Amino acid sequence: MTRHGRRPPQTTLSVWQVVELARHADRPYSLDYIRRLAPDFIELHGDRLSGDDPALVAGIGTWHDRTTVFLGHQKGRSLKERVARNWGMMHPEGYRKAIRLANHAAKFNFPIVCLIDTPGAYPGAGAEERGIAAAIAGAIMQWFRVPVPIVAAVIGEGGSGGALGMGVADRVIMLENSIYSVASPEAAASIVWRDNTRKVEAAEQLQLTSRDLLAMGVVEEVVPEPAGGAQTDFDATAAALDEALHRHLQPLLTQPRDELLQHRYERFRYIDSLVHAEPHFGPKI
Amino acid sequence: MQLAKQRAEVRITGATLPPIPLPTNCPGCGVGLDQEVLRKHAYVCECGHHFRMGADAWIAFVADRGTWKERWGDVRSHDLLNWKVPKPYQATIDQLAEEGLNEAVRTGTCALGGRAIWLASFDFRFVGGTLSIVAGERLARGMEQAVSSGLPYLLVAASGGARMQEGVLALMQMAKVNAAVGRLHAAGVPYFAVLTDPTFGGTAASLALLADINIAEPGAAIGFTGPRVIKQATYADLPPGFQSADFQLARGQVDMVVPRTELRRLLAHLLEIYP
Repeated sequence: MTRHGRRPPQTTLSVWQVVELARHADRPYSLDYIRRLAPDFIELHGDRLSGDDPALVAGIGTWHDRTTVFLGHQKGRSLKERVARNWGMMHPEGYRKAIRLANHAAKFNFPIVCLIDTPGAYPGAGAEERGIAAAIAGAIMQWFRVPVPIVAAVIGEGGSGGALGMGVADRVIMLENSIYSVASPEAAASIVWRDNTRKVEAAEQLQLTSRDLLAMGVVEEVVPEPAGGAQTDFDATAAALDEALHRHLQPLLTQPRDELLQHRYERFRYIDSLVHAEPHFGPKI
Repeated sequence: MQLAKQRAEVRITGATLPPIPLPTNCPGCGVGLDQEVLRKHAYVCECGHHFRMGADAWIAFVADRGTWKERWGDVRSHDLLNWKVPKPYQATIDQLAEEGLNEAVRTGTCALGGRAIWLASFDFRFVGGTLSIVAGERLARGMEQAVSSGLPYLLVAASGGARMQEGVLALMQMAKVNAAVGRLHAAGVPYFAVLTDPTFGGTAASLALLADINIAEPGAAIGFTGPRVIKQATYADLPPGFQSADFQLARGQVDMVVPRTELRRLLAHLLEIYP
């Protein structure tokens, strides 16, 4: 039984097979979905402070007759593009760009769609020097103040704080073969065993598949993928994602702003309520 | 005049600090260490080396004698994910509880220089001070109470990040706690953070760096990704002092680097001048 009543699709894949599908080189990326959802998508650039982060695509487009802000991690397809987009790993400028666009959406009352597909924030010296921790922290806090509906979907990898920095939304859904985790299996193995080759064991313990997340009440819905995975049919996967995101957005559009923000607060404040530590320690809602 | 007098009366430590295990010689200067002397100097060596303190020592350090009232101390973490290797999570937390440790975050109310505050202290000895469901819940509840009572909120951070053994629910604590930090700010409640060695990962990328005033301890390592993982991921050689308190001061991430022996006076002063 899940909090939201929808049962996840059955699977015969092992956890590691799901991880490999989530990272499949031919899997559709954010722009593949955004261009199908909003063919008139216009990309916007820059954090208005110091730079533009190509690991995050941002822009506006018409989606179901409504101007919508789209944000999404973008992994590159070719090696050259992968390097340019840093494999979808954001620097501080990316989180600042996201919040800039969130404020843009708030000004015009546009809803926001976030697509999550990142191994994590960039674990490099440059990101540290420019304040990646504070950028993620600030973004997570700011998302709770953005007074327009936000729907998010994990479309591939949801890795660590780098994913959560783009994942504070009123509804969060997952594609069937995507993962969402406190750390990538390699990073978790490196932390727990000090040996990142124990990644398969780590993945099996982390409970990071869409079914696990749905059972824990962390996501609202799992969107089924075509047999064999999303990479076998971009159009069908995009259509299923479109339908689910749009369905989740509908009730949010008419919600008063105060109520929207209060519900967003409660969604995360009591997100662990299904597994709270002690009977008297649970949520009081 | 009255305020100046009160300020002068703020001692280095609120109460006598508990003993902590120390090496025979200081890693900073190599001098032989005397537990009793160090204890009176808040475990700071004459050379300036700051020894790590647990939550019990931090609470004794911050709180005026006899004013500490712990909240939600009776709740404990459980193994939710059936985490078995390399060590069962339940055995890990049971063993730490037997050693007298009570989660990676303890929270409650106390007075500092006579002013009532909410205090939360991480404890690095408990699974690396990692953010867990219980830790996140204690933090968020304390902040919500600070919002309703208007008491200033003081955080002492020492953490490796989110707790792997609680999976994605540990990650979600970052959002839970940051939502509460947002409410502190919206309500005009002063929020001060003391960043001690080490403050990393999901803790640095959530509440620790979001205070009104970020105060780092000298020599504390503060950052998002730890140096070992940076080297593993990018093969980069990191310069000496990378992610140190002074490094973060120079890059605009903290407001000041303050020795522990001057910290209480500073905090007492801040509590006077922030309404």
